[in-house]
Amino acid sequence: MRTKKWLQTGLAAVMASALLIAGCSGGNNGNKNSASGNDGEVSTEPVTFTYFGFGSNKDTMASDTTIGKKLQEQTGVDWKMEFVVGDGSTKSGVMIAGGDYPDVISPVGELAKLLDAGAYIPLNDLIEKYGPNIKRVYGDYMNKITNEDGNIYILPFTANVNGYLSPPDPSSTFWMQRRVLKEFGYPEVKTLDQYFELIEKYQAKYPKVDGKDTIGFVTFAGTPGEFYTITNQPMHLAGYPNEGAVLVDMDSHEAKLYQGTDTEKRWLAKLNEMNGKGLIDPETFTANKDQYLAKLTSGRVLGYVNYSWQVTDATNNLKSAGNDDLRYVALPIVYDESIKDAYVDPPSFVNNRGLGISVSAKDPVRIIKYFDNLLTDENQKLVQWGIEGETYSKNAEGRMIMSEEQLANRNDNDFKRKFGFAYFDYEWPRYGDNSVYDDGNAHVPFNQPEVAAINYTEGDKTLLEKYNLKTFSDFYAEPVERPWYPAWSIEKEPGSPEQLFSQRAGDLQQKYYPRMVLAAPGQFETVWNEYLAEFNKLDAKGYEEFMTNKIKDRVDGKW
Amino acid sequence: MGKTAVQLTKSNTGTSRFKTFFKELSKQKMLMLMSLPFLIWVIIFKYLPLWGWTIAFQKFKPAKDLFDQKWVGLDNFKFLFQEQQFYRVLRNTLVMSSINLVLGFVTAIVLALLLNELRNVLFKRTVQTISYLPYFISWVVAANIVQMALAPEGIINVLLIKAQLIDHPILWLGEGKYFWGILGVTEVWKNVGWNTIIYLAAITSIDPSQYEAAEIDGASRLQRMFYITLPGIKPVIVLILIMNLGHILESGFEAQYLLGNGMNLDYSENLDIFVLKYGMQMNNFGLATAAGMFKTVVSFIFLIAANNIAKRMGESRLY
Repeated sequence: MRTKKWLQTGLAAVMASALLIAGCSGGNNGNKNSASGNDGEVSTEPVTFTYFGFGSNKDTMASDTTIGKKLQEQTGVDWKMEFVVGDGSTKSGVMIAGGDYPDVISPVGELAKLLDAGAYIPLNDLIEKYGPNIKRVYGDYMNKITNEDGNIYILPFTANVNGYLSPPDPSSTFWMQRRVLKEFGYPEVKTLDQYFELIEKYQAKYPKVDGKDTIGFVTFAGTPGEFYTITNQPMHLAGYPNEGAVLVDMDSHEAKLYQGTDTEKRWLAKLNEMNGKGLIDPETFTANKDQYLAKLTSGRVLGYVNYSWQVTDATNNLKSAGNDDLRYVALPIVYDESIKDAYVDPPSFVNNRGLGISVSAKDPVRIIKYFDNLLTDENQKLVQWGIEGETYSKNAEGRMIMSEEQLANRNDNDFKRKFGFAYFDYEWPRYGDNSVYDDGNAHVPFNQPEVAAINYTEGDKTLLEKYNLKTFSDFYAEPVERPWYPAWSIEKEPGSPEQLFSQRAGDLQQKYYPRMVLAAPGQFETVWNEYLAEFNKLDAKGYEEFMTNKIKDRVDGKW
Repeated sequence: MGKTAVQLTKSNTGTSRFKTFFKELSKQKMLMLMSLPFLIWVIIFKYLPLWGWTIAFQKFKPAKDLFDQKWVGLDNFKFLFQEQQFYRVLRNTLVMSSINLVLGFVTAIVLALLLNELRNVLFKRTVQTISYLPYFISWVVAANIVQMALAPEGIINVLLIKAQLIDHPILWLGEGKYFWGILGVTEVWKNVGWNTIIYLAAITSIDPSQYEAAEIDGASRLQRMFYITLPGIKPVIVLILIMNLGHILESGFEAQYLLGNGMNLDYSENLDIFVLKYGMQMNNFGLATAAGMFKTVVSFIFLIAANNIAKRMGESRLY
């Protein structure tokens, strides 16, 4: 008998402890969302909030930067800023599963997931009560930042204030080494055929540089996450800006996929043809990013395709190396002379990137006040231009300018971190890049023509002179207004048929693009037909319908 | 639990069995008490999470109660088994993990045997250290090294061209058919030293007098290896084989993810990558869980089958 009792007690103990511990791990994710007491009366007691960004940056305390310190003096608020390491979707999954959020989150690509999980608090009332500056900046965009449920959850980064200033140095995705242009007396290059013809001619003339083979053309398609580099090009070549996977008709606002159409085929056929001539780098589809960037900085590459922000490190290195002949220039390449290029983004508003306050935030009122304070004209100047006399100066006409040294600092990554530009000029509620201050100065320093001019090297000036242009933007056509732009920012619900289609279509491209480009010249048609057959199995109609509806909604003002 | 006790009393009849079981139990009271914390640990961390398998039958939305979830029955499994790609990734997973299993086994045992024969301790240590160093570098770095070596201007191509075995550089990572081989070699390079350690440890437990006796009887080195060392570590080999068979659907993730690209997709994409793409990245946790369940069931079958075979053949076994 004694034995039995002992066993019972033992089992009971096991069960009880198991249940206890299991119970504890459960209901700990309640809302700790207590708004701080009485209206208006918000203290400036020192406090530290947490900030989490899904963009890439180094962790820091805001008060360790000059800008963060200044903002702390004004508000008493300091930030512990953390950024995602590794895979963002994994991190957001963990965050959601734990139900434990930082005070504010800049979700980048994870917005849909976080919204779905109810991670953000609605900001409507807070803005109404405490946000005069927020209302001023986002007033024109209210319908675009309001969710379908009538709530505002994030404050995006692209709200332009006071008109629209185009950047003086936009870039296309087609880059050509400057010595190629120099060699042939700076010819006009407009079409894809002309572009490759020039590369071919140069390669034939100089097959080797410094004992190594010149590489005719390369693009970055070796990493699954950046495969869009090669798949986006048919869109640009056909004269459309970056809309994602579709071409949007200017009049009917119908969205049509270009995948599996002649628009796409033409690009691949050209690459295939060039590959037959030995001009395409065989590593295009296998190199990793380090290998790719090393290749670009080696100076052996004659032409490449990339968005400039994918390769900033390489282009900066080339610039500081000082040999302008080995640097590249972006050209407005299209399929035919008759096509008007659309490389310069039209005035746009991206509403799925922004900063929002999470349900775990301890004091949303102080946070919204901080945002509001950040959006004053003075503080916007602070986060973009810095401190007068230190990081910029003013000339007699009141124009904001920079000396060469100040500009070098503004371009230097370490300085930008220390001063805080790297943290505060993006991923916080802000004026959009194309904004202008009341006094006519550009919001973003590099959009200020005076600053852009100092930024030019001798090589830049020669090149512009040869083409008879003042700035690099003169290469490009004026952007055309597209009220829905950009279509890529249309959110697809997680797990929806549209998202499934995108994934499947992307998988197909990843599988077939290399085959088509590297096929023996006679084989191209066969592989293309194989690809088309596979693609036709997918529900492209459904996807186009979804996009068309969303775009029409946007045109009607329903964002 | 308690199986040993039951087995001990096999000859007894029904009713008395229980009595002896509890008698045995009370005798081993201290042992039971000592294992209690671990039992609790296993229940909490291994059995309670099984609760999460319900996700496989839901259209799961994070941060919502169980009762607010939408139940979809077997839809996730249907999607999984109807997906064309699934069978391709399943094939890749099985092939790659079999390659890893066989190669990993053979190389580790051979290296252990060879190292055991070395008399020069310094040389032995050096070889061992060098062979297990790669185990400690992360896959990101390892994959980078492999990519560099296999690039058209990388060391492998240069060597092959110099040796006049090929005329043009081969794009190793661009040909699907090479991928499995490359992966096998990479895995061996990275893990062989580490895997060897356990066999070396097992070898040290062999009675040296056996070797002496064999030497006196005139056995050659090779014979000693075959007739003493190998049988001596056989229990360890079988045990590890059984355990590894339980991971037959885990062919690794990082190596395939980092070395994979559009050109070798058909051969490099495995179950884990598929789950990441169509499950996790699309917030489709139900599908990811369903795939996980599938993996567990298959592993379970393999594990039990291997264990039973070992049992029948009278070899050492897991349980």
